[in-house]
Amino acid sequence: MFAFESVFQCIFAPSSPRIWGTTENADNALSTNTSVVVPSDPAPPYMEVYYPVYYPSPSIARTGNQLTEDEQVKIALRIGLIQNLPEGKYGDCEINTECVICMIDFVVGDHVRYLPCLHTYHVRCIDDWLMRRFTCPSCMEPVDTGTFDWI
Amino acid sequence: MSGYSAEVKVAETIAYKMVSLPRRIIKETQRLLQEPVPGISAVPDDSNARYFHVIVTGPDDSPFEGGLFRLELFLPEDYPMSAPKVRFVTKIYHPNIDRLGRICLDILKDKWSPALQIRTVLLSIQALLSAPNPDDPLANDVAELWKVDEAEAIRNAKEWTRRYAMDN
Repeated sequence: MFAFESVFQCIFAPSSPRIWGTTENADNALSTNTSVVVPSDPAPPYMEVYYPVYYPSPSIARTGNQLTEDEQVKIALRIGLIQNLPEGKYGDCEINTECVICMIDFVVGDHVRYLPCLHTYHVRCIDDWLMRRFTCPSCMEPVDTGTFDWI
Repeated sequence: MSGYSAEVKVAETIAYKMVSLPRRIIKETQRLLQEPVPGISAVPDDSNARYFHVIVTGPDDSPFEGGLFRLELFLPEDYPMSAPKVRFVTKIYHPNIDRLGRICLDILKDKWSPALQIRTVLLSIQALLSAPNPDDPLANDVAELWKVDEAEAIRNAKEWTRRYAMDN
């Protein structure tokens, strides 16, 4: 019995990663961070739903189901603006030779996006950044001065 | 049985993290080791490729000249979309660095860009040592003295450099 208890203690010691979420752990989580709702009996891993993470402003990360209505509108607008930026296939006589975000040299045919300042990035790399901040990583200029300043 | 599977899970997570280390981090690490920046060394930790042990030499003609300052640098999960986390480990008397070693530098906060790198961040930190900015303070007492009696503040900075950043 004693041996069983110590094994139990070992597995569920507070410092060990919480896997199944005992009620005690859930209470701790609630008391330390009231903004996060921790269900007392979370679904087992195979039933968990994964929500995409959005950045209404660079330092705020929220999952899709936690966004306020204003933030949803803001993000929808931003997605629209990003999709309006020109994209294409990387050609063989372009100025930029490396995507400075992933630091990998462009290969002819790569799916790239062109910003108004003429800096070029892989679509996947730049879209990830533009969803956080609407500036060019290389020159730090707003992607479209004036019109989209408020985004 | 549960204990065993928890261990397996941890091992799997570590293996996954090593495999999924972004190419950019591998590339930056290689460049840092192959073409080190003068006055700066950054070496990844043996057990965590996202954690770097950094040494910055105090710039010439600054109160930190002759000092070797240890820092720790951590690349968060979403690097380069968010800035590296950097902290001085060696005590330093500087208006923009507090007693916990936290650094007040715009590119580590709202001016971060994924076009910046570990190399450029460390160069900026070295430049901050040459150009303390008491008007944007983090260590208020230090900044205050720096503004009221700069000569005394510089004497303190030199003394701290001698005491904490030399011969160890």
